[in-house]
Amino acid sequence: MIRNNTPYFHAIQILEDNCTGCTACVRVCPTEAIRVRNRKADIDPYRCVDCGNCMDVCEFHAIIPSSDPLDIIHNFKYKVVIISSSFFGQFTEDISYAAAKQAVLELGFDEVAEEAMVTDFMISIIRDYIRVNRDKRPILGSNCPAVVRLIQVKYPSLLPNLLHQEAPMSILTRYLRDKIAREQKLKDEEIGIFLIVPCVAHVTAVHQPEGAYKHLQDGAFSAGMIYGRVREILKEIQNHPVDIDTYPQGLTWALSGVQADLVDTDDIRALSVNGVENVMDILSRVEDHYLDQYDYIVLRTCTNGCVGGCLNVENPFVAMSRIKKMSKEGTNKEIHVEELEKLYAQGEFIVSPLAPRPIMELDKDIKKAIQKMKRINEFLTMLPGLNCSACGSPTCYALAEDIVQGKASIDDCLVLRRGNPDLDEDE
Amino acid sequence: MRVCAAVKSNLMSEYRYVAEGFEDAVQHFEELKPEAEVKLQFAIPEKDFNTAGKGSFELKNMLKRLGVDSVVLRRIAVASYEAEINVAAHSKGGIMYSTVYENLIHVCFEDQGPGIADIEQAMTPGFSTADDLVRELGFGAGLGLPNIKKNSDAMSLVSAAGSSTKLEFLIYFA
Repeated sequence: MIRNNTPYFHAIQILEDNCTGCTACVRVCPTEAIRVRNRKADIDPYRCVDCGNCMDVCEFHAIIPSSDPLDIIHNFKYKVVIISSSFFGQFTEDISYAAAKQAVLELGFDEVAEEAMVTDFMISIIRDYIRVNRDKRPILGSNCPAVVRLIQVKYPSLLPNLLHQEAPMSILTRYLRDKIAREQKLKDEEIGIFLIVPCVAHVTAVHQPEGAYKHLQDGAFSAGMIYGRVREILKEIQNHPVDIDTYPQGLTWALSGVQADLVDTDDIRALSVNGVENVMDILSRVEDHYLDQYDYIVLRTCTNGCVGGCLNVENPFVAMSRIKKMSKEGTNKEIHVEELEKLYAQGEFIVSPLAPRPIMELDKDIKKAIQKMKRINEFLTMLPGLNCSACGSPTCYALAEDIVQGKASIDDCLVLRRGNPDLDEDE
Repeated sequence: MRVCAAVKSNLMSEYRYVAEGFEDAVQHFEELKPEAEVKLQFAIPEKDFNTAGKGSFELKNMLKRLGVDSVVLRRIAVASYEAEINVAAHSKGGIMYSTVYENLIHVCFEDQGPGIADIEQAMTPGFSTADDLVRELGFGAGLGLPNIKKNSDAMSLVSAAGSSTKLEFLIYFA
């Protein structure tokens, strides 16, 4: 996992031996966090928001996700797993929701819980928050960790608009920690709570939660890794089905659009957006006060919402269709919300205000920033304007900026070198 | 204002506004005629709502690179976006000129007509001459010019019926 001596952790790893320096990742990064230098990709941990675009596009298996190995659960006396709502959309239709859930439990957990259990409760918290914070419009959903980080780095003026309440899986974690400690008479450090997550942004969020006041989860497992293990166990448990609670309606939380529809009511107008390009376009319009007519905007960087997460195995459209089918075929097991309501009333789910992490500013001093911009514009006139990325920076503008910031040289431009026989072909 | 000096004639009318507390600063700026630091220029084609907004988007990115305070940045974004949409929706097309100085930004919009017949009326919140195409796209609520004024530290609008319109505003960084 990327630490690079910076305060920012990322669940994305570059395997240098596999990297060919092809620059495909450089071109798809929404925050221009990647550069190829000396024919190897390098991610700037300050800029990376863990969207997963680079992993999806890499043909050489050189950018891979990091998540926790399953055996870390044995460090704890009581082991709980919380499954994200997109997970059950991964299985083919011959495998029932209940059987898949039983198989997860049999991986070695004492208790299995689901994000889907608390999504109804979450809707009530969101509505409450929107009504109390009338001075802020629109409120921006904070469920997607990649969106939260994107706002920190590119749209810091919108940080106050974020929903300052924990997401469902963290709410559930807080509730389960209290309940298990009480009922099982265990100390906090004896209880291990883990998530099965659909994307690297959630792995990062577990290891470096933004704005969390309390100890939350102890690890995050990749949905794809768990999927493989579960398929093996399914064969063994086929003949021993047990009764297990399911929450089919709650699973729709994984689908973009559903949350907004559920929050939307007479006095609340909600909008839903998915896909990182659309998310950035919408955030820019929010900055311009062009979407103030909305009370709430749900933003997810992956296609169709969390079903599009990079750690999932199924196509996001197929997974979406399966979850919709499941939600029609059964009903949620009722849960007792009194305890959750009590914790909510005590302010246990509040998230602290997040600090901006601006990546775009050229200098802390505006006068120096202006001088740098003048120099960038000078270099820009020398560069060919092809935006070919062959230099390792995503665009000619980015190369000009890298040159001025001392991170590259004009000789990195291959197009200029080709026209200049004085320069060597290789260094 | 200095950069786009208004053409004065009997037919031309002018609306000028300077926010309270900025009178001296604006006068000082106009007299001192400081040198422009960075310039940005964008064409705004008539009724092209696919590209309208691109100029203010690029301007916003430039201001983020300069590290302009986020509250000030949003004021500039709103004023420039409203003005850009105005030119696309109401004129035969025009040009947006953004000029960065050490402590402020000057944004100027010059179009190719048809001009504003009654400037006082245009500055009234809720007044609009937007046609159906523009309204269908969600614009034309008559809040554009008042919104630009609200977000600017100084603003000038010069126009006449049958002529071109020039809108300028100044916003200080701190």
